[in-house]
Amino acid sequence: MGFWDAVTDLIDAATPWATVEAEAPADIPAESAPAAETTEETTAETKAEEPAAAAEEPEEEAEAEAEEEEEDEDEDEIVDPKETLEEECRNSKECAPAKHHYDECVARVTGGTGAEGEDCVEEFFHLAHCATQCAAPKLWNVLK
Amino acid sequence: MLARTALRSTRTFASAKNGAFNFAKRSASTQSSGAAAESPLRLNIAAAAATAVAAGSIAWYYHLYGSASAMTPAEEGLHATKYPWVHQEWFKTFDHQALRRGFQVYREVCASCHSLSRVPYRSLVGTILTVDEAKALAEENEYDTEPNDQGEIEKRPGKLSDYLPDPYKNDEAARFANNGALPPDLSLIVKARHGGCDYIFSLLTGYPDEPPAGATVGAGLNFNPYFPGTGIAMARVLYDGLVDYEDGTPASTSQMAKDVVEFLNWAAEPEMDDRKRMGMKVLVVSSVLFALSVWVKRYKWAWLKSRKIVYDPPKESATRH
Repeated sequence: MGFWDAVTDLIDAATPWATVEAEAPADIPAESAPAAETTEETTAETKAEEPAAAAEEPEEEAEAEAEEEEEDEDEDEIVDPKETLEEECRNSKECAPAKHHYDECVARVTGGTGAEGEDCVEEFFHLAHCATQCAAPKLWNVLK
Repeated sequence: MLARTALRSTRTFASAKNGAFNFAKRSASTQSSGAAAESPLRLNIAAAAATAVAAGSIAWYYHLYGSASAMTPAEEGLHATKYPWVHQEWFKTFDHQALRRGFQVYREVCASCHSLSRVPYRSLVGTILTVDEAKALAEENEYDTEPNDQGEIEKRPGKLSDYLPDPYKNDEAARFANNGALPPDLSLIVKARHGGCDYIFSLLTGYPDEPPAGATVGAGLNFNPYFPGTGIAMARVLYDGLVDYEDGTPASTSQMAKDVVEFLNWAAEPEMDDRKRMGMKVLVVSSVLFALSVWVKRYKWAWLKSRKIVYDPPKESATRH
């Protein structure tokens, strides 16, 4: 609420024709009804899709979901913007050193050539820090 | 400690030698115990022996305890990234539409394990719900009445003055139901955690698909980089589309996390909007008073500032005294 909102509020309160509503104004049914319908549709359809996807191999599942997303663009399949933005950031130039170290560590540890009891937590932290830092302002532009 | 006791002992010896009454010379006498007679060879041997003992003690420690892995980043947890929260700006209020969505997320997701015991229904009125909605919500739960004529305590539907119900009867029941981990009360959680809103948002959305290679995750725990120690008993709870928002906002994981964190910030600081308005009033009033005081000072000092002191030398008289 800015300064001029306060001024206009004062003027509104002083004018004799102003109306004051203690309760929330009554809902406009025209707006709420279609929204409820669409959400019901999407939930019903996602429920129907779930068993089909679960039956398939886990490797194919990601591909199948990706295809479904392409097919059902008009259905508003929800994609988390944080995931996509951070993936972009992880592969961006500024996070390249962190990603390089992390990948190298994963190869070392899974290959068994690293030191005994070595883990990639520190490298993971550096990569996650870089990715979230880069995605934070973009994410806030997307979210409501 | 050892060095200090050694020093003290030489000091006592020296004082004994010089006599206990002679305190002023004590420091001088400790130096004069034949330091000039030390040969460079003996000093070198002493230094080499001290170094050998130091290196040997480290080697002994490693032999006993193996490599030292203390203060690892995993122990500390990943520090939360700063997010540009709008409600944290100086002259911004909570987004009450977001609070409403966040309360919905709390009620449908968090409330099954986490209590919010310091928030009464009445505080929801006007900020998140209307009176009727809050009353209807309160009446969904039962609370104890006052004892009746026979001393029995009966149940009654909730009123606006009641507090949000706890999911468990007590902490022991909560621990028992959650594998020994106590879900913390969320009323003041934003104030109670280092990093506040950023930490909780990062924690909720930060679960990776799988822990990084080589990381050990304890039994019954989940890997979360933001939790100190990285092993957290709470599993990931927010998934895309878990909640159907009444205003049609797409319920992605990060959207739900953002809304619920803003709601929790409201729960911890319900006075924030008023506080910021009061701060603005203070600034307005004090700036007016300051301006006034500058003018008053100018007025009061005018006679002093505008006076002119003139030295008028006496005319040179013809006669000399």
